[in-house]
Amino acid sequence: MADKLAMLIDTSKCMACRGCQVACKQWNDLEGWTYSKTANEGSYENPPDLSPQTWTRIKFIEHEGTDQFRWLFLNEGCFHCTQAACVDVCPTKALKYHPLGLVTFERELCNGCGYCTQACPFNIPRLDKSGFTWQWKASKCTFCQDRTTNGLQPACVKTCPAGALSWGDREEMINKGRERVEALKTERGFLNANLYGEKELGGLGRLYVLTERPSIYGLPEQPNYPISITLWQKIIQPVGGIAVIGTVVAAFFAFLISRSNIRMEEVE
Amino acid sequence: MSVRIKGTEAVVHIRWIPKYTFMERVLHWAHSAAYIPLAVTGFMLYAPWLTPLAQGQAGQTIRLVHRIMAIAFCAIPIIYAVSEPRRLIMNLREVFQFDKDDILWLKAAIPYYLLGREIEMPPQPRFNTGERLNAVIMVLGFGLFGVTGLTMWFGKGIVPPWLFRTAVIVHDLTMIVTLCMFVIHFFLAVAHPLMWQAMVSMRFGVVSESYARKHHSKWFYGEKRARELWEKHKAEGIH
Repeated sequence: MADKLAMLIDTSKCMACRGCQVACKQWNDLEGWTYSKTANEGSYENPPDLSPQTWTRIKFIEHEGTDQFRWLFLNEGCFHCTQAACVDVCPTKALKYHPLGLVTFERELCNGCGYCTQACPFNIPRLDKSGFTWQWKASKCTFCQDRTTNGLQPACVKTCPAGALSWGDREEMINKGRERVEALKTERGFLNANLYGEKELGGLGRLYVLTERPSIYGLPEQPNYPISITLWQKIIQPVGGIAVIGTVVAAFFAFLISRSNIRMEEVE
Repeated sequence: MSVRIKGTEAVVHIRWIPKYTFMERVLHWAHSAAYIPLAVTGFMLYAPWLTPLAQGQAGQTIRLVHRIMAIAFCAIPIIYAVSEPRRLIMNLREVFQFDKDDILWLKAAIPYYLLGREIEMPPQPRFNTGERLNAVIMVLGFGLFGVTGLTMWFGKGIVPPWLFRTAVIVHDLTMIVTLCMFVIHFFLAVAHPLMWQAMVSMRFGVVSESYARKHHSKWFYGEKRARELWEKHKAEGIH
């Protein structure tokens, strides 16, 4: 099996044509309008947010740098973390790690508990609340797991006309990203250019070449695996299970001991 | 109640003392009927080895059952407060009262319940230390389950994620503590040979005079007399 795969997103090349949004919806058969209506709200970006039907979208940032106003475009979507909080909290195993470095999602297994939406440091998974409260389903970008596990590129990469998106071996993508950052710094004068995702959360599957600091794009400078999830999954769950089962076993033996020591004839 | 002993002329008179009202007994069993399915369905999301039951449509169904039972669970204290507010206040006052006898009780409890050694058991009021601990934990459990459960049910996307995750953790911890308490309560109330009148009192609302005298002497005799008797018994070594 090949090494880990990754997507490299060169934001400096993105022209916000939103072909990736369309390709994503087409390949993954996502409806266009159920959740976030295609509305402009004081911005050219559309739809206004990720949703169960919008797994990727271009975020428009109006950046006023030192010299002039500039648009920054960020292709949003799942980061496919190596240490993914959503996978660890998922009680159904609908979210899983794939050896190729994807965080895959099986909609049939999801029971709509929504823990993943509250665990992700990037606020990526969204809950489809269109049914009654118990019929919900989570949803997120899967890097087109059906395509990529069969040697194809994700639909968004395939369609990108600007060459902003590329897909391949993670090491290659990192090298390509580093070269691009260097070029942006020396040849184009973007002194804050950086590669995002190389080390964060064990290494992200979605790598960004950014021309400004991550915070300007609304990305966390230091994304953290929530400590409460470590406490919950690694400590409380096993300790609690042992405590409950231990009490049951102890009560059973206490019952046997008490029965052999206490004669009912003498009990009032 | 008088019982004629078979084949003889001897008649045993049993005096029954009321301990619980009808509403208390109904709500007690309603509480069990809600708590057990809540614990079972909750455990399916909690325990990794029960994952297959939490997946897909089965998982959606158990989440639905959990919510329906949660409504019943939360309704119980409200029904009690509305129907018998004076009893509720009286009982709450009694169960939140602990003194130094309770430390002696906890020390004496294991030899007593396992080996039947009664001599060290200090006199107890209407609820003994174990009953009161159980009640306190269940009362706190109602509050914590209610607040964290509502946060998880309705607060998703409204409260900040750290608060949601904290609610999950508190919900889990409350489950662990109440479930351990539930197991102990089940053992003592249902299975334990000395406590056979626990089931009688939760079915008919009464305990016998001899049982009350033995297990709840502060309630039966009053505080002062119960202590005198206990000192005397200990001095004489009578079981």
